[in-house]
Amino acid sequence: MKILVVGGGGREHAIALSLEGSVHGPKISCLSDVTNPGINAVVKRSGGVYFNGDVNSPDCVSETARRCGADMVFVGPEEPNFHGVPDRMDKDGIGCIGARRNVAELEMSKASMRDLQWKYKIPGRLWYKKFKSYDEAVPYIEEFADSIAIKPARQAGGKGVKVIEDFQVYLQEDKRRVKREHAESIISEYMKGYEDVDYKILIEERVWGPEYTVHCFTDGKTVLPMPAVQDNKHAFEGDLGLETGGMGSISCGMNLRLGTDADEDQAILTQSEYQGSVDIVKSMIDSIQKETGDRYRGVVAGQMMLTPVWGPTVIEMYSRLGDPEAANVLSALKTDLVDICEAIMGGRLNTVKAEFDDQAVVVKAVCPEGYPNRRDLAAGHPISVDVANSPSGKSQDGILWASADCAAKGAGCGSVVTGGSRAVECVGRGKDIPEASRNAEALVGNVRLEDGWKLFHRSDIGSERSMERRIALARTAREIYQYRERKGLLGKRMLWIPGKGFVEVG
Amino acid sequence: MTGILGIYLFDKRWNARNFGVFGLMALQHRGQETAGLELFGEQRAKVAGKGLAEQVLAPNQGTSAGMEKGYVCLGGVSPYPQEEAEIQPIALSNAVSAAIDGKITAVKGYGWSRSATYEDNLRAAFGRSTTGCSIDEVKEFFWRCMGGFSYVAVNDRNEMVAGRGALGVKPLVLGKMGFEGGIVASESCVMDIIGERMPISPAENIDPGESRIFTPMSAHSERCTSCSNRAYCSFEYVYLARPDSFVNDIPVYRVRRNIGRKLAEEGPADADVVIGVPETAIPFAMAYSNETGIPVEKGFELTGRRIRSAMKPNQLERLKGVQLKLNVISEAVKGKRVVLIDDSVVRGNTLANIVYLMKEKGAKEIHVRIGSPHIISHCPFGVEVPPEDELIGKHLPEEKIAEVVGADSFRYLSIDGFLDAVMIKREDLCVGCFGGKYPEEELD
Repeated sequence: MKILVVGGGGREHAIALSLEGSVHGPKISCLSDVTNPGINAVVKRSGGVYFNGDVNSPDCVSETARRCGADMVFVGPEEPNFHGVPDRMDKDGIGCIGARRNVAELEMSKASMRDLQWKYKIPGRLWYKKFKSYDEAVPYIEEFADSIAIKPARQAGGKGVKVIEDFQVYLQEDKRRVKREHAESIISEYMKGYEDVDYKILIEERVWGPEYTVHCFTDGKTVLPMPAVQDNKHAFEGDLGLETGGMGSISCGMNLRLGTDADEDQAILTQSEYQGSVDIVKSMIDSIQKETGDRYRGVVAGQMMLTPVWGPTVIEMYSRLGDPEAANVLSALKTDLVDICEAIMGGRLNTVKAEFDDQAVVVKAVCPEGYPNRRDLAAGHPISVDVANSPSGKSQDGILWASADCAAKGAGCGSVVTGGSRAVECVGRGKDIPEASRNAEALVGNVRLEDGWKLFHRSDIGSERSMERRIALARTAREIYQYRERKGLLGKRMLWIPGKGFVEVG
Repeated sequence: MTGILGIYLFDKRWNARNFGVFGLMALQHRGQETAGLELFGEQRAKVAGKGLAEQVLAPNQGTSAGMEKGYVCLGGVSPYPQEEAEIQPIALSNAVSAAIDGKITAVKGYGWSRSATYEDNLRAAFGRSTTGCSIDEVKEFFWRCMGGFSYVAVNDRNEMVAGRGALGVKPLVLGKMGFEGGIVASESCVMDIIGERMPISPAENIDPGESRIFTPMSAHSERCTSCSNRAYCSFEYVYLARPDSFVNDIPVYRVRRNIGRKLAEEGPADADVVIGVPETAIPFAMAYSNETGIPVEKGFELTGRRIRSAMKPNQLERLKGVQLKLNVISEAVKGKRVVLIDDSVVRGNTLANIVYLMKEKGAKEIHVRIGSPHIISHCPFGVEVPPEDELIGKHLPEEKIAEVVGADSFRYLSIDGFLDAVMIKREDLCVGCFGGKYPEEELD
């Protein structure tokens, strides 16, 4: 069997490794813009070919699939889905794990996603407004908006989201000004070049609570959920600073328990919150299929938050595996990934079971300084991983290569240079999350930049102290939403507007 | 002591000015005599003067020249300084400004000059040990400083570093503003006022010897390797910090409540009413009342602005403060046996004044209970304690103090009682002012 993996980051390295572990012994090829050293090793071991090219071009992917004689294409990132790569594979008659253009709308248009969620009255829906232009949005920001998230209405590589808590009236003037200016830069900067959606700016109510991602495999009929994973978006220690693609992620069991043997209350989610989240993702799949008449085949994920308003709440949807979350779910997956893929493509996912072990997995991203806002400074540094120090002493176990190129022009043969984003993801496992975190931490020490430029990572991810806080935060959100649930107020927001009267939203 | 504040916002569109002003207002209890704020953006601008933060810095008052904008902000509020002391934040060099709480008592590799001022010594030491003004160099300078202090400093590249001295005498916490930036401040109450409201913990404690560096590319934490023993200031819990703050991750209000309970246990009194001296001693009085069942009453009404009378520069100012702040409500004390609770006694004059006023309004008996052990020694780390020959607790026993202030009985909290209440190991606390023994640091 021959498989083409599309994409060249840490997520695709995790996918390639998981496919390589299949009993079917597939030949794995890869297409990405640069050559990922980790995937390249998998490609070489399995007898495939590494291609450099445009992953967002259906023509390019089609041509590459033909050249390597692929029986199956596994699309890693979201943009190829938005560009119709899976649709093209269907036309070419090649099996594809990837959401077709129509159903990938769930992720691509954050505004359509909310429209759909409200139309079908799916729980966990945040109150929102969408705007086609800056001028449309401004009066709204001036007059009504308090604590809000201002987002580009299209998925724009996870960038451009600003969450502004505007509660303190004495700071309101400053905050409203920044909100306006940010709305303006969404049009001029973040949405520039994206002509495939009508709405440009999305404003949503700000909520708080622990965030988590629930991924599912689906063939459009059957939905097989994966363990919940918590990503860490802040660049620096202690959840401080800039938004990144994800500095590391944790998981244990299906519901983010502290450890394999942890008590029921030592978890970020209860079993029923986890199940509720899966149900929401299922409803989202059903509704997008109903709406478009198209079939969803591949991976779908709800990026969720446990909020006081709703309990499990949708923040955004993914039409693919998250990065670095992919490393969590795939290293816990016990079922053969190739079997799952074949069942998805054959429309018989009901015949397989996706099984996961309940060990803790902690992934930590290692980044060159400059990431995320000065990628120009973060790029181009020679990087290496000291294999001798790895737990097994011989292989790069637990190391996922992400934004790194082993075939860069001008670099010496066999040397790897950073690409400007997260360079390496270190995967630790253990009986509980703090232990897995320590194991990941040990791997981080093996990553080095040869030119002395600094690397950074988040040592706090998965630590005892961090877990204690996350669990406490979940408990606080839980107490409030459960109270609302008992009172029949879940998801309802009631206002008394003096002079106007009683208003109910939700 | 001083309230210090640093704000670093990654997005240069932000103006940190109003955040700075309201942040300093939240620290006002740490110093009410001077206020200063420096903003760093395209330009650098400083406003400082004598008075409250609100008066000196006037929030939302539009723009005074040069104060328009800055995404990095440094500020401080201080109590009465020695005459020649500079208003915080101070300039360490042309390029670097700093706000410092507490006292730096020595700098490794620098001979302190007795004839120069404190600030000139710091500048000389800073000039000696740095060649440029990179933020790493600023950090390393503070790592060479000894004593009991916390600091925030900003250089001319608008980079910020904040941290605590290795002993950890003075507090410092880190708060967040979502993805927008970070705030460091003496106390966590600042985060409630200008930071992001976080349901679990408003702020993260910065450890002794820890520094946080803020640049457009980082907000990393680094630790000074030569970490000595800890010596958290006891007086933060008794008086200095706000009750809605966490100091060293311990809620100050919980300690104050524990102190009230301990006082009830150690100093019971046959009485009709418990009254706390505003503002600090009110939680002590409430806990004393809850523990003993003796009802708590509001004993005083204030005239004018709320001030911290103990921090006033001279006896006249302090008495003025007390008399304006503490007009006795006669209905609360008339014909009653009163347990009167205060946080500390330094010279005893203001206490004598309060007892006198209360008796004048008809209190039958007054049993004074103090929420801290006796103060018998100075503070080398900048808490203003008068010379030892002025300290009543150093020279007179409790019975004698009762007679001097005109009370029917007088009791301090015991040192052991205090240690129980504060929930920190004795070896990690500085109790120098109570016992005359101070933490030691090794000069290598």
